[in-house]
Amino acid sequence: MTRFSDKKIRARNASAWLVPDGDNRTDHRLRGDMRRFADDDEVDIVIVGCGAGGATLMQRLARAGWSVVALDAGPFWDPDADWVSDEAASHRLYWTEPRVITGDDPVPLGSNNSGRGVGGSMIHYAGYTPRFHPSDFETASLDGVGADWPISYQDLKPYYEAIEEELPVSGQDWPWGDPHSYRYSPQPVSGNGEIFLRGASAIGLNARVGPVAIANGRFGNRPHCIYRGFCLQGCKVNAKASPLITHVPDALAQGAEIRANCMVSKIEVGDSGLASGVTYFSGGVERFQRARMVAVAGYSIETPRLLLLSASKRFPDGLCNDEGQVGHYIMVQGAPQTAGRFAQEIRMFKAPPPEVSSEQYYETDPTKGYKRGFSIQTVSPLPITWAEHVAAQGHWGEVLREYMRDYVHWSTLGALCEFLPRYRNSVTLADEKDRHGLPVARFFYSQSDNDTALMKAAQRVMEDILKGAGAEEVMTIDRFAHLVGGCRMAASPNDGVVDANQRSFAVPNLYITDGSVLPTQGSANPALTIMALAARCADHLIAGSRKGQRSQLVGQ
Amino acid sequence: MPFRAPDARAITPGGKGRFPGFDVLDGVEHWDAVTAGVVLARLDPQPEISFFTVTEQATADALFDQLLGQDAPPKIPVLQLVDRRLALGQTDGWRYEDMPEDSVAWRQTLAALDVDAKAAHGERFHELSWNQQGTLVQAVHDAEVWHSLPGSQVWSLWTRYTSTAFYSHPWAWNEIGFGGPAYPRGYKALGVDKREGWEVPDHHSVDPVTFAARVERAKRRHADTSGGNHPVSQGKR
Ligand SMILES: Cc1cc2nc3c(=O)[nH]c(=O)nc-3n(C[C@H](O)[C@H](O)[C@H](O)COP(=O)(O)OP(=O)(O)OC[C@H]3O[C@@H](n4cnc5c(N)ncnc54)[C@H](O)[C@@H]3O)c2cc1C
Ligand code: SF4
Repeated sequence: MTRFSDKKIRARNASAWLVPDGDNRTDHRLRGDMRRFADDDEVDIVIVGCGAGGATLMQRLARAGWSVVALDAGPFWDPDADWVSDEAASHRLYWTEPRVITGDDPVPLGSNNSGRGVGGSMIHYAGYTPRFHPSDFETASLDGVGADWPISYQDLKPYYEAIEEELPVSGQDWPWGDPHSYRYSPQPVSGNGEIFLRGASAIGLNARVGPVAIANGRFGNRPHCIYRGFCLQGCKVNAKASPLITHVPDALAQGAEIRANCMVSKIEVGDSGLASGVTYFSGGVERFQRARMVAVAGYSIETPRLLLLSASKRFPDGLCNDEGQVGHYIMVQGAPQTAGRFAQEIRMFKAPPPEVSSEQYYETDPTKGYKRGFSIQTVSPLPITWAEHVAAQGHWGEVLREYMRDYVHWSTLGALCEFLPRYRNSVTLADEKDRHGLPVARFFYSQSDNDTALMKAAQRVMEDILKGAGAEEVMTIDRFAHLVGGCRMAASPNDGVVDANQRSFAVPNLYITDGSVLPTQGSANPALTIMALAARCADHLIAGSRKGQRSQLVGQ
Repeated sequence: MPFRAPDARAITPGGKGRFPGFDVLDGVEHWDAVTAGVVLARLDPQPEISFFTVTEQATADALFDQLLGQDAPPKIPVLQLVDRRLALGQTDGWRYEDMPEDSVAWRQTLAALDVDAKAAHGERFHELSWNQQGTLVQAVHDAEVWHSLPGSQVWSLWTRYTSTAFYSHPWAWNEIGFGGPAYPRGYKALGVDKREGWEVPDHHSVDPVTFAARVERAKRRHADTSGGNHPVSQGKR
């Protein structure tokens, strides 16, 4: 059944109708028939990275008639053949090229961070899709911490609405931030969600079901969720939204080319000061794709790394890095995870891990000793991840086994704490090189006192919720989630790498369209915001192209 | 069925578990073929050890048994699963700046464990009694710096690889009541105390003491054998 308003969505993005109906998840014909450009065709734009930001930009520009090539370092996934309903064997989804982590609070990467392949990290993200709050765009003015964005929530609002329809998002009416509703009613909740709702009501906390990028029902040809609980291993059902099924099919139908397994090693900038294309490795061979414009969307670690790798005579310290901004102000969210033990069976491995959340503590509370806040969400670790949680308590041997044997009795919540942006938290180049001969990223992270205070406060609330629901024992581990920033958007080149339209200050035909442009992060999961920003950037580019790209570039 | 002998139903490591008769492998026909392929391969006879040297092999095997409390058969072949991963260079990619690359860190830490064993008892690690081994392992857990490596990061390396191997195995899923691959079948009975028809409830009668008492018992046994004071609830980063 096609809802009336589905027609409007389909008219601007037909992806959900371009994936096959039936048991296959991929339209191989659409991929086989993909338009192909030659390296020396000067395409309108080449996009580095085909994840949240890159794929959204590609779809929008292809729709507007631009010639687009997107290069991704990883595979062009076929969910039927490539993904498994298994934790250990999902290793292939992650970015596992070498990286070095350091600082007072080094942030482990791997499974918990970026992805590799068409669809990017959203292939194995959980699927929460909250909006940022209006306050997130002006934390410096409101709270004296963080930074003000060069745009406001209102600038992004129409793009939030558009992307929410295209994913689509389901959930209860949302009372926090800018209150809004979702097209799809909330999913039924499982044991873990039930515990959160029960505990929240016991302590007088407002918690809501959603918002998750899993339609409650069919959407186009995408089937209903089967509550199998493996969202973090890639959705083999096509129920959970990722760019692979929400934006890539439409982009291909509109004539975009995606070149998978292509690792971009350098953005070339000519004497004119304009980018002329990108150098990349494909099958061990170095190639060069010419382009009129370049957009970088490789995730908060690889994007700054690529700019630093693209140093030249004109940009000796790295492309766009004259002001020393590239790679700085990287943020992670503090993500403490608290589990509670119940006499009843919870079986938290059933249903999508993202179910219920609360943003009651999102904003600065003047009565507290810290600024900004945190959100709380269900997380439902599968056995290996759960073993990490238990082992982090110092349990090993027979004690670990005894806790693990009790798996079905535990319920788990996670918080997202808004860690503040700091200059020293950064990606730089290490001495170590990868197999392409390129220096790998060195990621430095240290928490501030405000960050630490938020972690503690969030832990307390989660323990109260679980105890309120009747937990007999609780245990917490400190984790991190969601890397953003590193090439932030700013009003002036002294403060960031790109302007309000995500155009780099230094190179007029170079854009950055992924999570690295975020100046602050709120305590919301970032994917929806990254996609909304990319859609907005696309509108800006499309409007500019009417005027003739070069004159617009020079004139603005 | 080719993936297990007829008398090999509902196996759990060490014969321990609280879900009598529960066997995730009963559901194999409901799994998609790609997933079944990777999971059933873990039950295959494992290839010869190829990453660990003979010397390292003995130490690693004993260490892994300690970390996972595998003191009785049948054992999940953690040694082989970890060895294969290291042989394939299947790392998580990242490493701590003050730690060598994973494969080097493994060789270094296994050798260091033997050094500790010799220093304390004049024998190699695998030659020590279960209790002596446990004491040395607990000391690594408690160490700030261990053989000039950060203790917490050695611990993270050890537990990451071994937990992943152990809890990827269907026998461990039988032990903890986890349903394993769930595509394309999915789950229908959602909610507290709800079960699918094929799920087995936690049998309290297997060991009719409270969870708290069971954990206390395990900690006591553990403290007796490892000589360490087992941390109670303070998480470490
Ligand atoms: C376990 C987990 C759970 C998460 N849960 C949520 C959630 O519930 N909600 C949410 O909003 N967010 C979640 N996230 C975060 C979210 O997935 C990311 O923030 C988001 O996808 C980042 O978008 P991006 O465009 O910056 O990069 P990505 O989506 O990561 O895309 C980057 C792409 O660029 C490619 N690439 C990188 N470098 C190069 C190069 N040099 N050449 C060619 N290609 C390159 C990569 O292969 C990748 O495909 C989660 C993440 C993880 C890991
Ligand atoms: S739980 Fe639903 S959304 Fe998540 S992976 Fe399974 S089918 Fe997809």
